[in-house]
Amino acid sequence: MQFSSESVEALVDQFARLPGIGRKTARRLAAFILKLPKAEVAQMADALIAVKEKVISCTTCFNVTDHDPCPICASERRDHETVCVVEEPGDVMAIERTQGYSGIYHVLGGAISPLDGIGPEDLRIKELIARAANPAESDPIIGEVILAVNPSVEGDTTAYYISQLLAPFEVKVTRLARGIPIGSDLEFTDEATLTRALLARVSM
Amino acid sequence: MATRPSSSSNECVGSAYPFRHSPSAHQRPLKVVPPAHLSKIKFSVGSLFIKSIHLKGIRAHQDSTVNFDDGINLIVGPNGAGKTNILEAVHLLCLSKSFLTSNDRYVLRRGEPFYEVEGHFESDIRGSVTVRAAFVPGEGKKIFVGGAVLERMVDLVGRFPIVVFSPGDQRLTAEGPEFRRRFLDNIVSQSSSLYLDHLLRYKKVLKQRNELLLSARKRRQVPDAVLLDSWTQELVLHGAAIIADRIRFTEKYAGHLERAFEQISSVAERPTIVYTPFADHLATPENASDLYQAELERRRQSELDRGVTLVGPHRDDLEMYLDEMPVRRFASQGQHRTFGMALKLAQYDYLKERSAERPILLLDDIFDNLDPARIGAFLDILDSDVIGQSITTAARKEIVYNHLGSHPCRTTFVETGGLVLEKEPTDVLIGTRDSASSD
Ligand SMILES: [Zn+2]
Repeated sequence: MQFSSESVEALVDQFARLPGIGRKTARRLAAFILKLPKAEVAQMADALIAVKEKVISCTTCFNVTDHDPCPICASERRDHETVCVVEEPGDVMAIERTQGYSGIYHVLGGAISPLDGIGPEDLRIKELIARAANPAESDPIIGEVILAVNPSVEGDTTAYYISQLLAPFEVKVTRLARGIPIGSDLEFTDEATLTRALLARVSM
Repeated sequence: MATRPSSSSNECVGSAYPFRHSPSAHQRPLKVVPPAHLSKIKFSVGSLFIKSIHLKGIRAHQDSTVNFDDGINLIVGPNGAGKTNILEAVHLLCLSKSFLTSNDRYVLRRGEPFYEVEGHFESDIRGSVTVRAAFVPGEGKKIFVGGAVLERMVDLVGRFPIVVFSPGDQRLTAEGPEFRRRFLDNIVSQSSSLYLDHLLRYKKVLKQRNELLLSARKRRQVPDAVLLDSWTQELVLHGAAIIADRIRFTEKYAGHLERAFEQISSVAERPTIVYTPFADHLATPENASDLYQAELERRRQSELDRGVTLVGPHRDDLEMYLDEMPVRRFASQGQHRTFGMALKLAQYDYLKERSAERPILLLDDIFDNLDPARIGAFLDILDSDVIGQSITTAARKEIVYNHLGSHPCRTTFVETGGLVLEKEPTDVLIGTRDSASSD
């Protein structure tokens, strides 16, 4: 199926660029937009433009925000001695959704990956070390850095690299435990996950 | 122009888009159990077999169904008719890819928009399990077990143990180390998903580390020491786990190999395999990590000079000997053949022991070039209770029939164009087959 309008095809092309969207879905989305009232489409377009115009990155933690410093860095109720290091802003949202973490964040902007041309200098690693090594006078001294990077080989390597750079400083470096997903039976857990969970067992 | 001999299975394959879930997809599949080696309880060896398979858009097969017995199965037909494609499809359902290629575009029939294979497995331990694999070019491949889609292809490996004998096995003893590594990885992966996980991660780290070394070399620089060390740590983490498992495997497998060799060889030679990951040191599972680390340090300068990782399981070899004689360089044709068959039979035996189920055995055209004595010895084994289900392809049924005598054997005939018949085709067609198989 092909739309007979060039503008619709152009829209399909744009949708198809989104992650997880194939051409089939892109066409469905375009058909949906075609049916929407113009005012609603304008709202949608405005929201798209707004994220590029208003959203900046926090100069402390590099999370996306409308204000600098971001609400998390600015909050007095957060524990500023604990920093959770993540790869992407989406990871901050994931951890925030748990409502189980009260520290602050540091967004790296990815993980080290030579194949993608991403070296440590392309990530906010220098900035993280600076935060831990020479905190600004107004900031408390960081006591713990939690490395919450992805459990991929790139994430593992990035975590090891950061831990090496943090070693000279008096800061505790921890890594997220890898366990059995809640809601899954031990019996149905794959051997790799099970073994890692065993290695990362905790005393009671 | 293939026809579908059985109409009862129409419902399993046939919807226009292959990536649909079955209605029960969101429930936990009833009978799906993790790889049997995970179970703590040791069962006596159970049977596992594939009852039927439906192929759509697989090479010669536009739309075919093949039914199997739990014992000896024979697929007869001229070369190029699509016999091997049926074995490839069975393999695909067990290990997520064909044994001939890992590129699904080569598995797809020319001109078809997608392929779809569905098989019904029966297991003593797990009951009936349906596995479906579908591939759409540009969208990829999905595998469904009991109606639920697998998150990762590798989650399939080990659930349905399988062993293939094919003419390509010659390369195992005669050619480069990559064939032996692939053989090793196949067996150990089927018996340990942890090994497969390390293997996949190792391959990724290796690519990354090689890129780091190579790009630094191109810039005539040395990579950042901490950065290289970080990749080295990750390499050693997975590499040492692989080496340790390979050492453990080689020790256990040695006995299986000796027994298998005895079964098919009339000569009293002793087969051995030697795995020496670090030439100058005796490696054990315990010291693998330290030795690997030390070897990487020793070779660091050459790695920097050449811009590539020079040490690790990706360069391992498995040496093979008959008594004192290195097989690769000095064995005769016959010895190569016997050794190759023994390797595969031992693989079967090893997987059977580890998974508490008799693996499915695929024999692709191996009888055509074998002398009668070896065919006889082999069919005796197929006919014993050592082997569970076996599926054999042959250009002429007589090769197998002559040796089996009155033993039960289910025969399926495949004619040119992927036409699957449960009865022997007419004389006219036999005439075509004979002329076609003369090449
Ligand atoms: Zn911030």
